[in-house]
Amino acid sequence: MSTQAARVTLEYVKTIGLTTNQSGRGFINPYDMAVSRDGRIFILNHCDSARKNLIRIGMMTFDEDYLGEFGNGAGAGDGQFSSPVAMVFDSQDRLHITDELNHRVSVFDSAGNFLRHWGVQGSGDGEFDGPCGIAIDSQDNLYIVDQNNHRVQKFTNDGEYLLQWGEEGSGPGQFNMPWGAAIGSQGDVYVADWRNDRIQKFSPDGQFQASFGVSGQEDGQLSRPSAVAVDDRGNMYVADWGNERVQVLDPQGNFLLKLRGQATLSKWAEDWLTANPVEKDNRDISNLNPELPPHITTFHEISSQTEPYFWGPVSVRLDDNGRLYVTETNRHRIQIYQQVWS
Amino acid sequence: MSNQEIALMAHLLRRAGFGATRDELEVFVAQGYDAVVEDLLYPSDPQNMPDDIIRRSHVEQSELRLLDGAGAYWMYRMITSRCPLEEKIALFWHGLFATGYTKLNQAKVLLNQIDMFRRFGLGNFPTLLVELSKDPAMIIWLDNNDNHKTAINENYGRELLELFSMGIGNYTEDDIKECARAFTGWTLGNAEYMSVRASRDSIWPYSRIAWHFEYRDDDHDDGEKTFLGETGNFNGEDIINIIARQESTARFICTRLFQFFGADEVDEEGEKVIEAMMQTYFESGYEVRAVLRTLFHSEYFRSEKARFARVKGPVETVVGAVRLAGTYRTPTQGVDQLARQALFMGQGIFQPPSVEGWHEGIEWVDSGSLVERVNFVGQQLGNTKNPGVRAIINRLASERDGSWTPEELVDQCLDLIGPVTVSQDTRNALVEFASLEGDLDLEDRESGAEQRVGDLLRLVTATREFQLA
Repeated sequence: MSTQAARVTLEYVKTIGLTTNQSGRGFINPYDMAVSRDGRIFILNHCDSARKNLIRIGMMTFDEDYLGEFGNGAGAGDGQFSSPVAMVFDSQDRLHITDELNHRVSVFDSAGNFLRHWGVQGSGDGEFDGPCGIAIDSQDNLYIVDQNNHRVQKFTNDGEYLLQWGEEGSGPGQFNMPWGAAIGSQGDVYVADWRNDRIQKFSPDGQFQASFGVSGQEDGQLSRPSAVAVDDRGNMYVADWGNERVQVLDPQGNFLLKLRGQATLSKWAEDWLTANPVEKDNRDISNLNPELPPHITTFHEISSQTEPYFWGPVSVRLDDNGRLYVTETNRHRIQIYQQVWS
Repeated sequence: MSNQEIALMAHLLRRAGFGATRDELEVFVAQGYDAVVEDLLYPSDPQNMPDDIIRRSHVEQSELRLLDGAGAYWMYRMITSRCPLEEKIALFWHGLFATGYTKLNQAKVLLNQIDMFRRFGLGNFPTLLVELSKDPAMIIWLDNNDNHKTAINENYGRELLELFSMGIGNYTEDDIKECARAFTGWTLGNAEYMSVRASRDSIWPYSRIAWHFEYRDDDHDDGEKTFLGETGNFNGEDIINIIARQESTARFICTRLFQFFGADEVDEEGEKVIEAMMQTYFESGYEVRAVLRTLFHSEYFRSEKARFARVKGPVETVVGAVRLAGTYRTPTQGVDQLARQALFMGQGIFQPPSVEGWHEGIEWVDSGSLVERVNFVGQQLGNTKNPGVRAIINRLASERDGSWTPEELVDQCLDLIGPVTVSQDTRNALVEFASLEGDLDLEDRESGAEQRVGDLLRLVTATREFQLA
């Protein structure tokens, strides 16, 4: 099944992941993903408060072979996390991971070795109050969204402070608890201005350029966008978190298409059901895309009862092969779509 | 504004809500008792902590897979709502229609049930019972998904009559069977798969899937039934309409409402209030809101006799202390501990001991639970950094340029934390404690004066009187 649009189609490829309560294969409230230079997929497991000790970064192949995991669990020590949110690889394949409760960035190599962490809580230059979204430009500069300081800060990939912009508000260049970020092909910075229900675009030095989206549920409208990805042509792929969907907007912010989600069983999920035939048999006679009673109207509620739909989309990332990865924290999985150009 | 007006308003807010700060009480008194009652009865703009903020701050309260997250979510609502009766009536129905996580292994549908109580809990009683009968959590809890045309399961039908409406002794075993027949076909979507997952506590492959009601006409027994002396091809709604008309139902519901909102024990005067509530029940067409209005305006409820005539339940204790202390107004790590505190005190949200709910009143308090109550509330109200405690200290400082004698300090703290009325013995003990370091001068904040207020407030929360509502 595919969704038609003016220039780009997103074709569903498959779903990866499986809920787990332990280490190893499976995801626990994934919040972000990244692809290393050698094509491995890294998954950031945020974990709910009951499973904080299982916070980790998992590794797998696109073909769903489990490769291992790293991270030293919950805490404030080296390699530990309290509330990891997002991550990116730099040009040297070092993984930079934000932590909104430890107010810092932790850095690992692609083998999973802890390298360093940097950042402290505060509101001064280079300090953080809830760092969340992270993006990296072609010069290896990091842009980190500082949610409770309502700003974006720019650093070298060694954590040296360069500049910042933004303040609390709803005007151009202002933010209300921003979340995700992405870099366009020209180095422009796109920020998911979460509580203002919009995407804002800035020059690399923070000059406001444009704002896209208004509050709402209609096509082109947004409700608490959590993340954005941008393709080479400037199209924006928005995790429309409050509307439990993904929307694609053209470079001017015009609506192109939307996805509600169409998850199927991952390889790991199929393995699990094969080993649990009682559940499989009952699942096979069920309709997991049911017609719901009319009083169920909120997207959060609808997604909670409709397994294929996105539920808690907190990250959208594009890889070099034109694949879009939508990370759903409430369903512990990632739906993958392929860009098809017409 | 008189002390009596403040005391009456505090009483109303303890019963129809979770207590109020002095600043809030003064606003309510200015508004007037009758107007406040109407505002409470018609909740419209709760202004509780926004859903998006909660979900972003606590992923477990977005997914709502587990008990901790669901309990914390409801705690936030109770703590931050400006429509406290909306939450209090939900708490009442949760106690009466007690549904537990242990059998469901589904936290979100329990919160959905609470939301249903918010929407229907102050309205028409038979409508509420219809919604309860369609509630997916209740369907699994009392096995109505196993109640089939070809083989009835009496569990829901029995409890509907015994525990949820009429009370034992007012119907026959045949009525139970006929009631169960009428509710055949009332099930949930994908019932087979969901019941297997619930029984196995399965979260695989992609976590829990919330439930919704489904009516299966082909599994409904449409035959003739005789229920409480009436005969017809009754469906569930018909049965509930017959139940609602019974005097035993009026007595049962009004008594339970009286004991939750009025007084633990029903004496002769209380019995007269219940009769007035029953009359309202019928005259209003079974409206819960109207019944509560009768209670809140009764001479009995407004009298000194009704004050502190209830033992605070654990959830009331936790929420009341937090609201008074002004904590947890913004997303706070560790909020799941609040629901756990109530559990330690004997009332785990979504964890009733049985379908009968909790044994309330004096049974809330034993030596173990009392220690938990005193420790938790003392920690909240003894911490001078907490906004609500700071407000009390600032108020004391603004009211007096000079120093407070121990007696004055005790009386004023009792007033500002409640007002709480204590026995002479209790007051003497508090004064003795306050006298240990002599008069108190809040002009000299460096001297530890603020902490002395905090320590005294902490001791007040340990009194017998503070355990009462």
